[in-house]
Amino acid sequence: MSDLKTIVKEKLAGGADAFLCLKNEEGTVLPALITDADSPDLEFVDVGESRYPLGRILIDLQREYPDKRFAVLVRGCDERALIELSKLEQIDLDRLVMVGVACSTEEAEACGCPRPYPGDIALGEKVEAAPGREVIDEVESLGDAERLGWWKEQFSRCIKCYGCRNICPMCFCKDCALENPHLVEPGVIPPDFPSFHIIRALDMTGRCIDCGLCEEACPADIPLRSLYRKMQDIMEDKLEYRAGGSVEEKNPLSFLGTEHDIEKLEQE
Amino acid sequence: MADKKQSKKAGSEAAEIRKPVGAVMVVGGGVGGIQASLELANMGYKVYLADSSPSVGGVMGMLDKTFPTNECSMCILSPKMVEVASNINIEVITLADVLSVEGEVGDMRVKLRIRPRYVDIGKCTGCGDCTAKCPVKIPDPYNAGLDTTRCIRVPFPQAVPGAAVIDPEVCRWLTKEKCGNCVKVCQAGAVDFDQKEREETFQVGMVIAAPGYRPFDAGRKTEYGYGVNQNVVTSLEFERILGANGPTQGHVVRPSDGEEVKKLAFVQCVGSRDTTVGNGYCSSVCCMYATKQALIAKEHLPGIEPTIFFIDMRAYGKDFEKYYTAAESRHGVRYVRGLISGIRERQRTKNLLLRYADEAGCTQEEEFDLVVLSIGLEAPCGLKEGLGLEVNEYGFAEADPFLPVLSSRPGVLVCGAAQEPRDIPDTVTQATAAAGIASQALHGARNTLLTRREHPPEKDVGGEEPRVGAIICRCGSNIGGFVDVPAVVEYAKELPGVVWAEERLYACSQDAQDWIRQVVEENGLNRLVVASCTPRTHQPLFRETLQSAGVNKYLFEMANIREHCSWVHMQEPENATRKAQYLVKMAVEKARRLEPLVEGESGVIPRGLVIGGGVAGMNAALNLAASGFQVYLVEKEDELGGLARNIHFNLKGEDVQAYVKELADRVEREELITAFTAHEIVDVGGFVGQFKTLIRDAEGRETLLEHGAVIVATGGGQYQPTEYLRGEDGRVLTQWELEKRIAEKDPALADVERVVMIQCVGSREEERPYCSKVCCTEAAKNALALKELSPRTEVFVLYRDVRTYGFREDIYREAREAGVVFSRFDDDVRPDVRDVAGTLQVRVPDANLAGEMVVLNTDLVVLSTGITANPDNAALAPMLKVPRNAEGFFLEAHMKLRPVDFATDGVFVCGLAHAPKSIEESVSQAAAAAARAESILSKDKIVTEGVVAVVDADKCSGCGICLQLCPFEAVTYDEEKKVAVVNTSLCKGCGTCTAACTAGASRLQGFRSDQIFEQIEAAASAWRE
Amino acid sequence: MAEESKKNDEEDIRILAFLCNWCSYAGADLAGVSRFQYPPNVLDVRVMCTGTISPYFVIKAFQEGMDGVLIAGCHIGDCHYLKGNYMTAKRFQVLREALKFLGLEEGRLRLEWVSAAEGEKYADVIRSFTEEVKALGPSPLRGKKAAKAEVGA
Ligand code: SF4
Ligand code: SF4
Ligand code: FES
Repeated sequence: MSDLKTIVKEKLAGGADAFLCLKNEEGTVLPALITDADSPDLEFVDVGESRYPLGRILIDLQREYPDKRFAVLVRGCDERALIELSKLEQIDLDRLVMVGVACSTEEAEACGCPRPYPGDIALGEKVEAAPGREVIDEVESLGDAERLGWWKEQFSRCIKCYGCRNICPMCFCKDCALENPHLVEPGVIPPDFPSFHIIRALDMTGRCIDCGLCEEACPADIPLRSLYRKMQDIMEDKLEYRAGGSVEEKNPLSFLGTEHDIEKLEQE
Repeated sequence: MADKKQSKKAGSEAAEIRKPVGAVMVVGGGVGGIQASLELANMGYKVYLADSSPSVGGVMGMLDKTFPTNECSMCILSPKMVEVASNINIEVITLADVLSVEGEVGDMRVKLRIRPRYVDIGKCTGCGDCTAKCPVKIPDPYNAGLDTTRCIRVPFPQAVPGAAVIDPEVCRWLTKEKCGNCVKVCQAGAVDFDQKEREETFQVGMVIAAPGYRPFDAGRKTEYGYGVNQNVVTSLEFERILGANGPTQGHVVRPSDGEEVKKLAFVQCVGSRDTTVGNGYCSSVCCMYATKQALIAKEHLPGIEPTIFFIDMRAYGKDFEKYYTAAESRHGVRYVRGLISGIRERQRTKNLLLRYADEAGCTQEEEFDLVVLSIGLEAPCGLKEGLGLEVNEYGFAEADPFLPVLSSRPGVLVCGAAQEPRDIPDTVTQATAAAGIASQALHGARNTLLTRREHPPEKDVGGEEPRVGAIICRCGSNIGGFVDVPAVVEYAKELPGVVWAEERLYACSQDAQDWIRQVVEENGLNRLVVASCTPRTHQPLFRETLQSAGVNKYLFEMANIREHCSWVHMQEPENATRKAQYLVKMAVEKARRLEPLVEGESGVIPRGLVIGGGVAGMNAALNLAASGFQVYLVEKEDELGGLARNIHFNLKGEDVQAYVKELADRVEREELITAFTAHEIVDVGGFVGQFKTLIRDAEGRETLLEHGAVIVATGGGQYQPTEYLRGEDGRVLTQWELEKRIAEKDPALADVERVVMIQCVGSREEERPYCSKVCCTEAAKNALALKELSPRTEVFVLYRDVRTYGFREDIYREAREAGVVFSRFDDDVRPDVRDVAGTLQVRVPDANLAGEMVVLNTDLVVLSTGITANPDNAALAPMLKVPRNAEGFFLEAHMKLRPVDFATDGVFVCGLAHAPKSIEESVSQAAAAAARAESILSKDKIVTEGVVAVVDADKCSGCGICLQLCPFEAVTYDEEKKVAVVNTSLCKGCGTCTAACTAGASRLQGFRSDQIFEQIEAAASAWRE
Repeated sequence: MAEESKKNDEEDIRILAFLCNWCSYAGADLAGVSRFQYPPNVLDVRVMCTGTISPYFVIKAFQEGMDGVLIAGCHIGDCHYLKGNYMTAKRFQVLREALKFLGLEEGRLRLEWVSAAEGEKYADVIRSFTEEVKALGPSPLRGKKAAKAEVGA
């Protein structure tokens, strides 16, 4: 199996105008855009252990260079994000070459990823992992009042840093509902319970691809990933959709559907 | 009818000859006249609306409620009256009688005698100062004389024109040159005793007569002691007693002592179905209005016990049957079959003893506190003399048997109860039809005499601080009786942004509109809140008023403190008051954030599409063509004709088959009509003015039709019975099969000794809880025809109620006179038909004989099968975006006042697609639907709503979710800018797309999230107070 | 004192109803015209179609201290805009489950289809919903804003 550097060169030679990946310069991990084989950055490209929502950069790149083709390094979660973003018209998969990397056993387990590998694996070995359900189970074992209390306590630690949103590969709105003064009172910390977090959870429904970056980013250790994962469970259970799957599947919240669908939904 | 042929021409050919006058004289300002006037003005004609009374409104303006929805009559009529008043192309002429009509279609001269009002309409504000000072008391005609008013008064709060009038007979100044208080007190200087009676001639192209009816004079039935017994009132008087704006403010009390009524009796058919007073016909509306009055009385006074004494319960119209059964089974209205033979007053208590013969023929007597005589409708005056129309034996206008708006006189159309007793929706239908027929003759002169209203230029309120004005309406006592209106006004005044607030007795009255304009201007208001009734009926009126004050009409918000407050919290005035305050706060908070909106314009393809080629569809198409529009007529079957092909002759003996054939021929010959038989509708796209309909023939070839309006005339079906041995025994026929044999003069019929007809087969049952309306008449008609064919034949009609409404009653009477036996069975039993050793036998317990079993051996059993909805409606409804009712018939926009409209713009309905009805009713409806379609097709552009979605391109990230969510495909994607764009002429303003936009880039104007958030906050903060 | 105000609160249930203009608002109108009496604890917001009702509206209502939120629109198939209420049905499912997971009692959020002809149904819905919410008591989310208002007062 070849290494990343070789692959980058190959892709650049094979029609990609640039390659988006991460570089590790003496311990500092940063995104890198390699446009030619002579780039000094090529020396530092690294799969590493770090994760970064490269998709967010890609959105801008593809918009800025509408006729360029990009190659990008993707883990399982990145691929899911790009697929979902393509359904939301943010990413053009036709102008994209994905170079897949499978996460290692340790990485996968630490992350609790539902699918720690992309469709095509160029680097690494495919391993399986199981997403943790502890938090969801714990919450579901509680009665209404206790649940509310439990969440209240979790959310009360929020310092409204917006880290979850800022790191989220699926967030791209120009105006964010979390900054709408009608919904979230400005200058109040912790933010209004529960609107701040429930709004984010709702907006992530049918969209969150379960990468876990938000929870990683959260300085207050709020179990955001579990919250959003539950939302995806709801979505799957009620509307038979899970974000990040195949490009063909459509999110039922983004099309009207038929009377039959609704009748079925209502019968349950 | 003397010159039927000639009158048929009235519509089209005569008009070609010379240039017609683009104006119409409408005689009569009731709901029919109002409707006709509004339609005509909308189609581009100048209208003179003449009424003999001092205000338009007619009888509907006096009604408290309307059946079968129990809607407040004035509430739905008043906006129309105001529309009449504010339409500059309608000239209202009150106190006017027609002296003569001369000329021909297209060029007529109507001479009016106009009595003096003695008040200058232009100056009078309707303030009522004069009334307060007038010393002469008179019985108030608006309250049917039940209480008094003064000689000078505004006829009623919502009157149009809303000016005072003086009764010259009793005025002291006019009779004795004394008093003159009114002149002194009137600050506007409006009283003018110099006015003289005058005659004026108007030049018009057509005349529409809508003079309504005269209530039967109950005094003529001396046995009821009306006018002698104090507690015997007419139904019109009782209507006023029920009225919240009536003499007793809706308290159901007796005239004799003001005591609350406990036992209430209604006597039906007073002056109807009664040859002794010369009225052989049925008045068509009394059964339902009595039911309504009983229900409303119960509502006002839950302990009241209403009893309706009737002969047949004629609940034949759309949803009437359900109304009647609910009244009986759920609301405890007692129905007793019996003819009242006399009413006696008890001297001391003034209670009334009703004597009646029950069904078994025994005389019964029962005591009541109040008796209401359900008086019938008689022909109005002036049909013959002034208008020069031929009248029938009862004095009603003679009419074409297929299209009753055609009178005996070309150039004069007649609609409403002047032609036959009928209810409001039928009157509105006919009025609309008449407008359309008039336009057929006059379309060459469309828009020639029109004045266009220029609203004052809109003030730019852009950067201004919101200055909200709030009007709290009392709606007489409808709101004021339960909500502490002054407290709401005080509360409103304290709300942020509110610079002015006041209460008003009727915010919707004509004078109130002038007042609103004035306060908006005087106080520099740039937002208006009216707390009154439902915006669904009244918002357009207030918006128009706001517009006339130079303020964008979208800077308006309503708080519904009547339907959603005072009327539903009648027992808790404090809570109702508080809730009204909260609702006002919510409206004010929203109003503060409203922004002016601009309306878009879109073009009109001047072609119509008619779906269904039966009698209704063909008529609709022919009518549109006669007005000069191209029409596509799409019929599923291979040939035109529809259900009417099964009917052979009508009541007047006219040949229906010949009529249908003639229609089909005319359709064929008409160059403007393109008929597509054996085609089905595949898809309907587009919107009012610009529809695109895909049709397909049997071979799968598709054609795309582009048109501006749609008329749905899909017809109905016939119930296919399996009961009563139908299908098993050849001697069991349907009414249509019998009719065919009669029409073909089947010789075998002469040998038939006995025929038993069974009514309500498939109707008025659990599965189809409606009356099919036509079967009783059909049975009576065929029974009579059988008798004529062979008088020896015994004919029995087994029925539940004989519903031969209107002049159809004549045929019922004739049938009985010819020896047809009508025998009633109870609702919960059914006749039993069996084959007893080869003999066909019908057994039924006869309700008139105390349930005694009658056994009839018979040669034929004839089933009067009901009308069913067309199953195709189910597929068509979603394509056209229109609703159906539980029985599968299409549901019109409003039962009373929009009988042929759908809520979806540009789509109309007629014929059996709407509900069971007779041929002439279908033809009238078809003409009405065509007229409504014409009002769209005759315009070169349609102004679209301001409530549409818009996308803020700066905020849109182009995710495209909204694109697929629009049910109307109004959202497109700008590939270059990568943002969503809304086509505002396709957007219907549902907001489905906006709710999905997490970025808030897509917003529904007038219902923006921030506006709704403010409403929510207002509700919450109000509660926290 | 605290006891007393709690009792008052229990009586004073606050319900916000979002009604679509064409069916449910008309149904509520019909309830009015027909004089069907129902508890006064409900304030309504008219929207053109339930499709307009963003989940944010509901969240906002609860955030502001509503004890119950009703969404009422045309029956499926009757939406004046054809399919606006399809989205309502879908969004509602997600929203209800989300609130459930959060611990807000299920009974506080209701979706009902009420036609223009169903005045009686509308009144019934308000009656039964008020009962249901009353049984649940004031919303646990009421506290904050209410407290704030008290401080302000
Ligand atoms: S508001 Fe409704 S009709 Fe208008 S664009 Fe959005 S989804 Fe379409
Ligand atoms: S949903 Fe909002 S952000 Fe997405 S395309 Fe529509 S308007 Fe733009
Ligand atoms: S219009 Fe009522 S739900 Fe859409």
